[in-house]
Amino acid sequence: MKKVLAILLAGAMSASLMACSSTGDSDLKAVQDSGKMKIGVTNYPPMNYLDENGEWTGFDTDFAAAVCEKLGVEPEFIEINWEAKETELSSKNIDCLWNGMCITEDRKAMWNVSDPYMNNTQAMVMKADKEAEIMADIAGKKVVAEAGSTGEEKLTGVIDDSQDSTVEVVAKDYFADAQYTGVASMATALMDVENGVADVALVDYVIALGMLGPDSTMKDLVINTDNYFGDQFFGIAFRKDSDLRDKVNDIAAEMKADGTLKQIAEKYGLADSIKE
Amino acid sequence: MNSMAIIQQLSRGFATNCLVFALTLLMAIPLGLVITFGSMSKFKPLKWVTKTFVWVIRGTPLMLQLFIVLYAPGLFGRPMQSRMTAVIIAFVINYAAYFSEIYRGGIESIPQGQYEAGQVLGMTKAQVFFKVVLFQVIKRIVPPMGNEVITLVKDTSLARIIGVAEVILCADRFSSKGIIWPLFFTGIYFLAATGILTLVMARIEKKLNYYRG
Repeated sequence: MKKVLAILLAGAMSASLMACSSTGDSDLKAVQDSGKMKIGVTNYPPMNYLDENGEWTGFDTDFAAAVCEKLGVEPEFIEINWEAKETELSSKNIDCLWNGMCITEDRKAMWNVSDPYMNNTQAMVMKADKEAEIMADIAGKKVVAEAGSTGEEKLTGVIDDSQDSTVEVVAKDYFADAQYTGVASMATALMDVENGVADVALVDYVIALGMLGPDSTMKDLVINTDNYFGDQFFGIAFRKDSDLRDKVNDIAAEMKADGTLKQIAEKYGLADSIKE
Repeated sequence: MNSMAIIQQLSRGFATNCLVFALTLLMAIPLGLVITFGSMSKFKPLKWVTKTFVWVIRGTPLMLQLFIVLYAPGLFGRPMQSRMTAVIIAFVINYAAYFSEIYRGGIESIPQGQYEAGQVLGMTKAQVFFKVVLFQVIKRIVPPMGNEVITLVKDTSLARIIGVAEVILCADRFSSKGIIWPLFFTGIYFLAATGILTLVMARIEKKLNYYRG
């Protein structure tokens, strides 16, 4: 039994090692040779979502398409499972993650992350008629966040933000007595609150703005930012040592300077969120 | 993080799978029998309702049923209080429907002559069923039940889609930090569990071999 276990373990480990060591070639060259950039996204309004014709749209979609145009390649949006993003990227199923991704120290260590392009923070979303009760005492309340998201990692203490000078309320301490569950996506988290399965969702402020906008069917939900859980920035992730990042950084800087980035942001009501 | 700590966390996750498995079996086995009696009933409306129920449960994905059990009560103003409860309800109903069809197959495979013989000897229908037919049925349904039980072990991983921290969800938390091997490692838990169950089922079949049914 022990031997079988050892062989299975060895197999699993070498497979994961192989997945990690497959960098080294030029990503930029590979993308330009193939004529397309494979962009990993999830349904994540207002960053990436499907319009009524089933085409990808949203701020990040337009931003990525504009960058690809300057690179002379076609963008190919590939819908991924956010929890499997590391595997998707390391296995080269996608060339980058461009999906309202918060920049964290862990992610900077694991990948080549672009310059920040948008401001974000964590916001609490709850039912309007329960807001007073929840804000008065969070203890025992059911809190949901997307598994693997920055919100979850701040709340569970995976991201230690107690030394972060921009943080006014440390999420880990604030939610210490709440009942936490990680769910599949931020959309699910909001649906859980709307349904009553959970009391509070901790989600990206930008996403909450997008999902609870004028077209939203969840009219009884409110965004509360009384507790400021600290600055966050969106960035684009490329494989470790990928040379694609610097190229995309240059193009994004140009777009910021000539105002095209701001134009795209205005289209989605995010002009104030662009990182200066 | 060292591998022992990771394996410990995975094991805690698999304990959740085991709990779902055990509670489902415990409740679905008797509930399945109730459904069988419904679908074999001579009372036509009851038979029709039960058969429709079995069709709906077997005809929709368990994943969808999990979402419905979690969210439907909220639409009627009484939100589901616990995700684990939602998982157990969905699993028990789903597996009871499958079990009921296996039971029905087993019961119908017993020749009508045995009931007639019982009646001639002055036994009631219930007496014939519980004293003569039931044990033959049990013997015949062991192999297909073994199949379902093994499927159940693997299906418990579906609990993750409504946020219940079963073993694969636990492993995913590591892969989001760039450690992929725990995800592959979860296979060992399922293999071990199904391995044990295969041996148990073989043992039961052997025990039941003392008579020819």
